Amino acid sequence: MFLNNVKIALRNLRKNKLFALVNILGLALGLTIYVFGGLLVKYERTHDMFFENSANIYTIGSIAAPDLNVGVDKFNATFTTVGPIIEAELQDVELVARSVISEYLLSVEDKSFYEGIRFADAAFTEIFDFDYIHGDSTALQDPSGLLLTESSAIKYFGRTDVMGETITFDNEFDFHVTAVVKDLPLNSHLASSVVMDNGFTFVVPINGLNRMREWDLAGNWNNLSIGNMTYVLLPETLGEDWLNAQVDGIYERLVPDDQKQVIADLTVAPMQRANLAIWDMIGMPVIAVVSLLSFLVLLVACVNYTNLATAQSLGRSREVGMRKTMGASQRQLLAQFLIESLVIASIAMIVAIAALEMIIPLFNNMASKSLNLNYLATMPWLVITTLMVGLLAGMYPAWLITRASPIDALRDMARKGKKGARMRSIMIGAQFAISAFMLAIVSIVYMQNEKVKESSYEFPRSEIYTMDRLFVEGIQDRLDTLKHELEALPNVSSVAYSSQVPFEQNNSQRSVSLEPGDEAGQVNLHTMEMSPDFLRTYDIPLLAGRGLDKNISQDVWKEDAESVNVVINELTVENLQFNTPEAAINQRFYRLDDDGNSTEYIVVGVVPTQNIVGLFNEVKPWMFTYDPESLRIGSIRITGGNIMSTVEQIEAAWKRVVPEYPIQGQFLDAVFDDVYNILKYMNMALAGFAFIALALASVGLFGLAAFMAAQRTKEIGMRKVLGASTTQIARLLVWQFSTPVLWALAVALPAAYFASSQFLNFFAERLESPVLILVVAGALAVTLAWSTVAGHAIRIARSNPILALRYE
Amino acid sequence: MLKLHNLYKVYRTDEVETVALNGVNLEIEQGDFVAIMGPSGCGKSTLLNIVGMLDNPSEGDYFFFDENVAPYNESGRAAIRKQNIGFIFQSFNLIDELTVAENIELALLYHNMPSAERKQRVANVMDRMGIAHRASHMPGQLSGGQQQRVAVARAVVGDQPLILADEPTGNLDSVHGQEVMELLRSLNKEGTTIVMVTHSPSHADYAHRTVNLFDGHIVTENTRAA
Repeated sequence: MFLNNVKIALRNLRKNKLFALVNILGLALGLTIYVFGGLLVKYERTHDMFFENSANIYTIGSIAAPDLNVGVDKFNATFTTVGPIIEAELQDVELVARSVISEYLLSVEDKSFYEGIRFADAAFTEIFDFDYIHGDSTALQDPSGLLLTESSAIKYFGRTDVMGETITFDNEFDFHVTAVVKDLPLNSHLASSVVMDNGFTFVVPINGLNRMREWDLAGNWNNLSIGNMTYVLLPETLGEDWLNAQVDGIYERLVPDDQKQVIADLTVAPMQRANLAIWDMIGMPVIAVVSLLSFLVLLVACVNYTNLATAQSLGRSREVGMRKTMGASQRQLLAQFLIESLVIASIAMIVAIAALEMIIPLFNNMASKSLNLNYLATMPWLVITTLMVGLLAGMYPAWLITRASPIDALRDMARKGKKGARMRSIMIGAQFAISAFMLAIVSIVYMQNEKVKESSYEFPRSEIYTMDRLFVEGIQDRLDTLKHELEALPNVSSVAYSSQVPFEQNNSQRSVSLEPGDEAGQVNLHTMEMSPDFLRTYDIPLLAGRGLDKNISQDVWKEDAESVNVVINELTVENLQFNTPEAAINQRFYRLDDDGNSTEYIVVGVVPTQNIVGLFNEVKPWMFTYDPESLRIGSIRITGGNIMSTVEQIEAAWKRVVPEYPIQGQFLDAVFDDVYNILKYMNMALAGFAFIALALASVGLFGLAAFMAAQRTKEIGMRKVLGASTTQIARLLVWQFSTPVLWALAVALPAAYFASSQFLNFFAERLESPVLILVVAGALAVTLAWSTVAGHAIRIARSNPILALRYE
Repeated sequence: MLKLHNLYKVYRTDEVETVALNGVNLEIEQGDFVAIMGPSGCGKSTLLNIVGMLDNPSEGDYFFFDENVAPYNESGRAAIRKQNIGFIFQSFNLIDELTVAENIELALLYHNMPSAERKQRVANVMDRMGIAHRASHMPGQLSGGQQQRVAVARAVVGDQPLILADEPTGNLDSVHGQEVMELLRSLNKEGTTIVMVTHSPSHADYAHRTVNLFDGHIVTENTRAA
């Protein structure tokens, strides 16, 4: 009987190839998305599980104070001094280790590469149990020791037995290998990070930083960088809540008051969540959203299947009648139809798995992840999903078709019944609501992200080539020579140095006031060091006054100068209440500093307000000074000519001037893309979700249109005989769908409005008219629905009326 | 074999009450061949549906082998139906997705019969009906007469003692119609009871008895010598 049913199911599929194809592809699409979403969520939630202490390791984070104004609310990093404080204060804690990431040029003989080095306290290797090929967990106890991974060893030495070998940092400081470990799996927060694509390569004792740049081993309260992690290993008896309470106490008692204006609290999070911290940081529940969207897509696909299957199964009412006449019970027939939908669900799952086998490697490659369809582990889930989908999606049509009495079924009464019409309307409405909701949300997100991209063009992104890593003594004194060499190139119009370039997520701030020492009148300004050519290089116009000039002594910042000339932007003019740019010239304001240092700033120029940090940040008040000692990145403006050959000439010029360091060059476009990528991937993913949901909804509508048209074949025939035109009939059919579709919109659009405002809140510069976009998205969805239905309706309406009548 | 006593069937809608059967009394012996005739709307099909236990009477008794089945619900009727009654329809009602053999086998599918036995019976009945060479064809590939042969085969494969035929020749030309009637006659000779609704007096002549229905009443009964 079971095989018999499977056979009939397969024959039915073969007979209605179009329906079968649409059904299977629809479900397969939904399943692909759902399974992929599930795997991704599982992958992201099971990071770092392979460490033996995994469950007992916690990270210390910080909550940004409201007036910090850096665009994020929460970091999983904290000040480097917090670790030692915890170690001193909390006796019950087993181990504490900080890790700080900093970039250095590493050299072995003639091989040199810039590497993100993880500087860590010695306890780091006690907290995390690495897989040692050579050496052991005492590797970091040697102050000039160095732990590296297998693949890093091969990169520099071509082999792994490199114990004791020397690696030189920044051409000056020697470290020797004290341990070689196996590469970490990608599903560790140490190995993969959305923020910094360092990977896990080198670990050096934190003393190394002290040796190379007099870094204070006790840590400091100055710098809160993402990536400055503090790990705490607790005994099994203590947990997150305990540590949280302790850390709150430390915040109250030991964090200096002025730091409390920077961070509002210290927080604790399980290390297993560290890989997700980026999403907490920007306040987007991305993992939950992925779960929800993939589930919604599956739901749409199921509803879709239900609609199509209902439409199709009613065509089999005679079969049901015949079977009942011959004694089949409703239960037996239910089983038959459910087996059919299980067969379809199973085929769809197989198609989905085949698709995933292709998608996952591509995705892993693109996103540097290591997702896999571990069949052994996922099989129960896949099977249950298939069963649930098959049963839930097939239940309604099976029930509807098999409940008719044998006579009604034989007479095809089900086809004519009004019964179930409401249910179908609700289903189509629900499905359409989900799709319209997703389309609306995605439109908003897409437009907002486009806006971010659009506004980034206020800087000549593609014409600026940046050179990073100039902040090395060996390079600093050659900056002028480098500038001359570069400006001599035919297609280079100017070269400027600065402490940051647009789109870099740096937030150096300084507190100033109009009167010296006036704490009440404090204004926070973002500061940037730039060489005088910066404005010209970036085409930044002056609204009033002049730019800085290296020949005017007061324009150049000096360590203990009492007075220095600055350029400010219009927002600073506003914040300091200077009224107009012209009025701001020659105005003075003062640095507010704990040490009583109150440098005087004199405004010599005003530039327009631009969004230098860009992305989701709001525009900020800026102050530009020229400090020749703090320039770490160069900007080369390329005008005309062959870009590639110009870049080659730039590289050649660099090699002539700074032969011992490789150039770290990239276009400003790439700097932008680095930070924009998160939004870009979000765009792509969401667009994918929406497209699929909408495609499914259209298919569903098509199925329903086919169904309703079939139901009304006789009516249509009669109307035609009585003289109705094709248009009139098409309109009649289309109108039938409008009610559920319009209801769906009435639900979906407000929901989308609510959800999208959550998203928009995150951006400083928001879309001006989300409502308009929602309406357009809604209109688009309705148009799509109508044209899908109309296409079918017209076909039906055009057919010969006699065919329609004879059908009965 | 079956006995209808004072049987009523009333269809009610919100406004209208239609009496399809109005106090029908009818007795059919085993081995009978009964034709039911009458104008459109006289209640022929309703009567056949009730006799076939596809429907319940509104009032009255229906004794099937001395068992009153009138109050039974669908699943109770289904149980008796599948053991005792085979159906032949005017429009054949073959399932398009199944082959000829599978369509016939369908009648045995709900009988808890081992597959081998089902196959054997289907093969036998196809031989008898002269459609064995069509076993793996789909209904769509057959002529109307052949399709009705398949339908007859399906009705008899379960060896049910009673066959109900609702205008079995209605969709057939006279040659094929004749063939089907011969088939029914030979089945009857082998002992199957047959109740047949027909419009054709010549086909009614195949029956032993003709029952004429009018407005839900039995108006006349003619019996002729076998």
